Amino acid sequence: MSVSNLLENWSKFRHTHPVEDKGHPDWEAYPSGLKTDIKWAMAIDLDACTGCNACSVACYAENNLPVVGKEKYAHGQEMHWMRIERYWGEENGEFKAEQGAQFLPMMCQHCEAAPCETVCPVGATNHTEDGLNSQIYNRCIGSRYCSANCPFKVRYFNWYNYPEQEESWPAPMHLQLNPDLTVRTKGVMEKCTFCKQRTYVARNNARNEEREVADGEVQTACQQACPTGAISFGNLHDPSSKVAKQWAQQGVDIIKEVQDKDKEREKMEHEGKEPEKMVRGYRILEELRPYPSVMYLERVREESAV
Amino acid sequence: MIENDFDRRDFLKVLGWGGTAVALSGCGYTSIEDGKETVTSYVTLPSYVVPGISNYFNSTCAQCEAGCNIMVRVREGRALKSEGNAASPINRGKMCGLGQAGIQAHYNPDRVQTPLLNGKAVSWDQALKEIEGKLNGVKGDEVAFITGTMSGHAQALLGNYMDALGSKNHFSYEAVSPAVARAANKKAYGVAMPRFRIDKAKVVVSFGADFLGAWVSPVYFSQAYAQFRKGNRPEGRGVLVQIEPKMTLTGANADRWLGIRPGTEGIFALGLINALGAAGVKVPADIAAAAKDYNPERVGTDTGVAFDQINKLAALLKERTPSLVLAGTAAEGYAYGSQNAMAIAMLNHVLGNVGKTVEAPASVPFPQLAPTVGSRSALTALNAGLAAGKYKVVFSYGANPVYSAPAAMKFKDNFGKAGFKVAFAQYLDETAKAADLVLPLDSAMEEWATVVPEYMPAPYEGHAENYAQVSLRQPVMEKLYPNKEGSGTRSVGDILLALLKQRKPEAYKGFDDFYAYLRSAVLEKKTVFGAAAKDDNDIFWNDTVGKGIVALNGVTAKLAGRASASELALPAPAAPDAAYPLRLIPSVSASMRDGRNANEPWLQESPDPLTTIVWDSWVEIHPKTAAKLGIVEGDIVDVSSKSGSIKAQAYLFPGIHPDAVSVPVGYGHEAMGRYANGTGANVFAMLDPVFDKETGELALNETAVKISKTGARVIIVKEEGPIGGSQAGRKKIAVKVSAGKVDLTKEV
Amino acid sequence: MTKDIREDIAWAQINQDVMKSLENPRKLYWVILFAALMVFSVGIGCEIYQYIEGMGVANMNNPHMWGLYIATFIFWIGMSHSGTLLSAILHLMHADWRKPIYRFAEAMTTFSLMTAGLFVAVHLGRVWQIYYALPYPSERWVWPNFQSPLLWDAMAIFTYLSSSVIFLYIGSIPDFAIARDNIHPGWRKKLYSILALGWEGTDRQWRNFRVTYLTVACFLIPLAVSVHSIVASDFAMSQQPGWHVTSFPPYFVAGALYSGCAAIITLFIILRYVFKFEEYMTLPILKKTVRLTFAIAMVWTYLNCIEFASVWYSHDQVAKDVLIQKATGPYAPFWWAMIFCGSVVPFVMMFKRFQTNIPVMFAVSLLLNLGMWLERWMIVAPTYSHGYYPWTWDHDQWPSLIQWGIVFGSFGWFTLLFMVFCKIVPSVSMYEVKEMVYHRSQATKKKQLGIEGAH
Repeated sequence: MSVSNLLENWSKFRHTHPVEDKGHPDWEAYPSGLKTDIKWAMAIDLDACTGCNACSVACYAENNLPVVGKEKYAHGQEMHWMRIERYWGEENGEFKAEQGAQFLPMMCQHCEAAPCETVCPVGATNHTEDGLNSQIYNRCIGSRYCSANCPFKVRYFNWYNYPEQEESWPAPMHLQLNPDLTVRTKGVMEKCTFCKQRTYVARNNARNEEREVADGEVQTACQQACPTGAISFGNLHDPSSKVAKQWAQQGVDIIKEVQDKDKEREKMEHEGKEPEKMVRGYRILEELRPYPSVMYLERVREESAV
Repeated sequence: MIENDFDRRDFLKVLGWGGTAVALSGCGYTSIEDGKETVTSYVTLPSYVVPGISNYFNSTCAQCEAGCNIMVRVREGRALKSEGNAASPINRGKMCGLGQAGIQAHYNPDRVQTPLLNGKAVSWDQALKEIEGKLNGVKGDEVAFITGTMSGHAQALLGNYMDALGSKNHFSYEAVSPAVARAANKKAYGVAMPRFRIDKAKVVVSFGADFLGAWVSPVYFSQAYAQFRKGNRPEGRGVLVQIEPKMTLTGANADRWLGIRPGTEGIFALGLINALGAAGVKVPADIAAAAKDYNPERVGTDTGVAFDQINKLAALLKERTPSLVLAGTAAEGYAYGSQNAMAIAMLNHVLGNVGKTVEAPASVPFPQLAPTVGSRSALTALNAGLAAGKYKVVFSYGANPVYSAPAAMKFKDNFGKAGFKVAFAQYLDETAKAADLVLPLDSAMEEWATVVPEYMPAPYEGHAENYAQVSLRQPVMEKLYPNKEGSGTRSVGDILLALLKQRKPEAYKGFDDFYAYLRSAVLEKKTVFGAAAKDDNDIFWNDTVGKGIVALNGVTAKLAGRASASELALPAPAAPDAAYPLRLIPSVSASMRDGRNANEPWLQESPDPLTTIVWDSWVEIHPKTAAKLGIVEGDIVDVSSKSGSIKAQAYLFPGIHPDAVSVPVGYGHEAMGRYANGTGANVFAMLDPVFDKETGELALNETAVKISKTGARVIIVKEEGPIGGSQAGRKKIAVKVSAGKVDLTKEV
Repeated sequence: MTKDIREDIAWAQINQDVMKSLENPRKLYWVILFAALMVFSVGIGCEIYQYIEGMGVANMNNPHMWGLYIATFIFWIGMSHSGTLLSAILHLMHADWRKPIYRFAEAMTTFSLMTAGLFVAVHLGRVWQIYYALPYPSERWVWPNFQSPLLWDAMAIFTYLSSSVIFLYIGSIPDFAIARDNIHPGWRKKLYSILALGWEGTDRQWRNFRVTYLTVACFLIPLAVSVHSIVASDFAMSQQPGWHVTSFPPYFVAGALYSGCAAIITLFIILRYVFKFEEYMTLPILKKTVRLTFAIAMVWTYLNCIEFASVWYSHDQVAKDVLIQKATGPYAPFWWAMIFCGSVVPFVMMFKRFQTNIPVMFAVSLLLNLGMWLERWMIVAPTYSHGYYPWTWDHDQWPSLIQWGIVFGSFGWFTLLFMVFCKIVPSVSMYEVKEMVYHRSQATKKKQLGIEGAH
């Protein structure tokens, strides 16, 4: 409680620029000198995604999301942390269905340089040491600036007091609520947490057993449900994890400036060549440089077969 | 009040043994009953219950007929979440949204909690006595039992009960079922449900089979589909072509979706055979003869698909084998649906897929446990009997015919003609409301059962080729409405056992409850269930319940020779009726299905994948048709057929043939619960009573309709915004890439 | 009609005229006060309902996270700039004509800031935790996020509010003394005795007073500029298309001065009429104010054009889309109304015959304020409606009656404060008017002497 403490806090409050940010090795609790170098990340294969909504329902079940009902949905006040977007092909301003639709699961992208984090007046949303963009419900005062600054619009605000409303979880439906996380009161912001309650269990187990979190040890609810296995989730700093392999193979890096994919493309463009075979990993709105932690893989379609 | 009065036997009975850990809290009846709480000290908990640590119980999903194996997470005595059982060859640890919502069927606030006689609460003893009294002096022929798809030991008990009554009137009814395909498969391959190896096919041509959404076993097929799409699979990345008049979820995922004129699927199939023949594929003589008139030009005119596309598709199929052709719901819902399905099945023969991607299925070695698969012809038969006043006592379980029968069948009136109607029901739905006696059912989280899936999965992870399975369902938590003072819920097995005891007290007196029956029945056959004769019964049983899946050496059916194609006779597409110019396609969505789960709010709030609409029905209209009729999005339109009409909001949808409109089924309940009632409109009611000529199935797509504006307009409540599915020219949101442009082989 | 003020008004007359405004409220006063109270109660009622039910009743949603509250907040902040402009800036520039009108303008500053402050609270989802935004030392060593423009905002407003209260008070001390000396004995006399801080008008007091007043004025100017620049930063520092504009701070400051001047004209006319201040709030002063307003209107229009041009030529398609949508989308009527009110209507002020036409200027000033309110709404809403992510575009976006009710109520609150102010603090600065009259008479004398000397 002094000026020096204030300054210290200020400097510690934010990480250094993500370019210099090499993981989060200061989790003290590792007794044996094992370092926890965790950066949770995701890869979603849009080619495998069928748009079936299983992930979204699983998210409702896991994260105590309230059902808001038709009227509030009509006002755009729904609370689905994971939404499935459906796009059509377009030609001359008309929708084309010949190649089916295109689905896109969209949830918090857990940006490493998150636009939402810098603007919160009370620091209710910030970065955790394992690379998550976290929301501290207790701290949130509901200024909604974070959502205003979120390019993806994946933050959901508690417009009503769902836990105390009879229609949210009429008895005995309240018995279904997951005790590993809270319900949220009116006036706070919430969003996808990458199933933090699950990652924490995995980390605690790993810590107790003095080892590192193994790949596949923790699954997010959406990943677990996805019938086509389109979602993979894991530690990006563990080179043996599936996610890390996928990111590396696709030439995608948290830091856009250094990603191989772009280098390759630039090289090709410099040489005036049209690249023959491209990778299909990309991150949405990465040109804004929020450094999202979710890589999408482009949907693949046979153009000329039929 | 502190009391330690739980009875060990009861305790074990209810708990069973879990997969990773075991059992749940023994907290008597906690705070669920009004006013009464028996507080049980945590000290007396079984050692395997650690507060704060979840236990997982393997069980079987009851949300649809696929019978996925699930693992229910339980914490301190509360079931929290259904997750997939990773050891299951059906769903391999995965789950669909519908399955996830099963927990909401369990905790549903609108469940029936006590037996109701003419709407008044009675005790179970009174209810059972009432049945016994009503059955007194009634001949076996005068009793009918309508159920949904049933399998396992409850089905065996039902069989025994019907035998005891001397009745053969068990009607197995599903409002939406692949019954026509079963019949056609039987003729084409010799088996009703062969294994379709989507994962092995290079090309899948699906005629309206929504295998990713609502067809047969969607989670299983979704996994196969994921394999099929892998670029690094030996066969290479598969190509999916979907041919259907209304885009299903599977159609939305196709490389090419062909919006065909409704009902011309068979013609298209024969045209394709013709084109394949022309391209040099060897076509058996009888099939070639049946297809010879279907040249691409004619087929193009009839089906509305450009004929060069037929040729291109033929070329693709010729080049890439094996392929797989599927006939689904959309192709079958016609008066000549069997013919369509047959013509489509012939494609598999022509392409040489039979034996490669169409495999002989295995089935469980106990015919009495095998599922009695539902169909709509069963309802027709029951309805005829009811209309004739043949039945004095009618039982209903797992079906809601009053809701899902077309109004033209007058089922509700006919149902009323039966003297005494008993509904086994979880909700007070339309059929339960029309019944005299309602017996409240346990949820799937509270009951013991065995389940045999109709579609047996292909072997997985070291299984034998003749893999077949029986799945177990166990109570994962204490009943929400326990049997105290005659009220509470019971499982269908327990009710059937109680009813059987009325008839054959001697034979069943050894079984206190269905659990005891089930256990002894399984143990009796334990060698077949994979145990050695010398194995300890308790250990074997606990192990079996813990796993939730019993792998068996199944009986492999042989694929028999096909019926001759010479019987194939497809009518030319009917000229549209001037008064009713459009064809109505009742669509089956992955989450709403036939409407039995409509009272689960997650499903109501989870947007329809294609239209993104929530909490209501809608009418899908092609933008061109809408423009012609002057309809814009949100107009409340009146859709009327000869047999009825509904009003719903219009949604302009590019994935539908301009001559068709589509309305989802499952909405518009009048009775069921707070979430389902009055949400949307019931399209079943307005269907014309047209039936498939061979199987007698109701032809779902044969209803001709006209559409008119009512003048009202609403803003549709949906997930997408006013610009709909447009990305507004933004390049990097949802990106699609041509298959030739990416190297998939090196992908992780 | 060329003089700002008659140089031959007796000082006692000034005291008498102004003091009259403090006494014996007429019936109409009570009617207006009651009406204001009612309007304010509507706002309070809406806020209570919103407090109990949650922010959802305002019909905000994802993506429309901010609605009229923030727009109206900026509006009131903008309004506050008038007082500073008149008292501080014009004071430093020795613009004499400001003297009769700066007092109520300063009051307006204070009250509009107090109104704006309300919107910060109204807007918060958890207003009961508003103190989290204050950098107070806490047990847990948790500080607010100093990176957030919203926090700068809170601090700037707080500083500005406290400074402007001090400024208003210091400037009123000599007048409180006059009031003390002229009012009938009673509680008001006691009040003014306290407020006057023992002012006797000695030479030393006057000297100290001048220095203090000048110092605070100098301090206030950068504050005024910074407070609205910081409000602009709320938007400019974000990443959203249509907000992420470098020219926002000057644009906001210009807009603020603009709306403030327009509000001064409105209140000028009302006070002149109600308190019969024709002798002090003269038409030449109105004319000067109107000309100043016109100049600022043109600056604002120019900055508007700059903003459009910089978006248009930036090749930032997303920002461009927002601009196009403003002009053609669902907000188009409001946007064009804003352009009309903000950039077309002020041209009325160009004409000399309208510059002193009270009814016309009253109407114009109201339109200008409407335009400026719309401007704030058109900054906030369309970006939400048409941001980076097309999937979330244009979802149900119309504010509910609750939202309108609170906005409406804020005008009641402002009126209420102002009405109370009018009866407690002399709304015309008596001592400065005396100064002005004195300077005028001196000047006239000099002139006459000069003329005489030439002969």
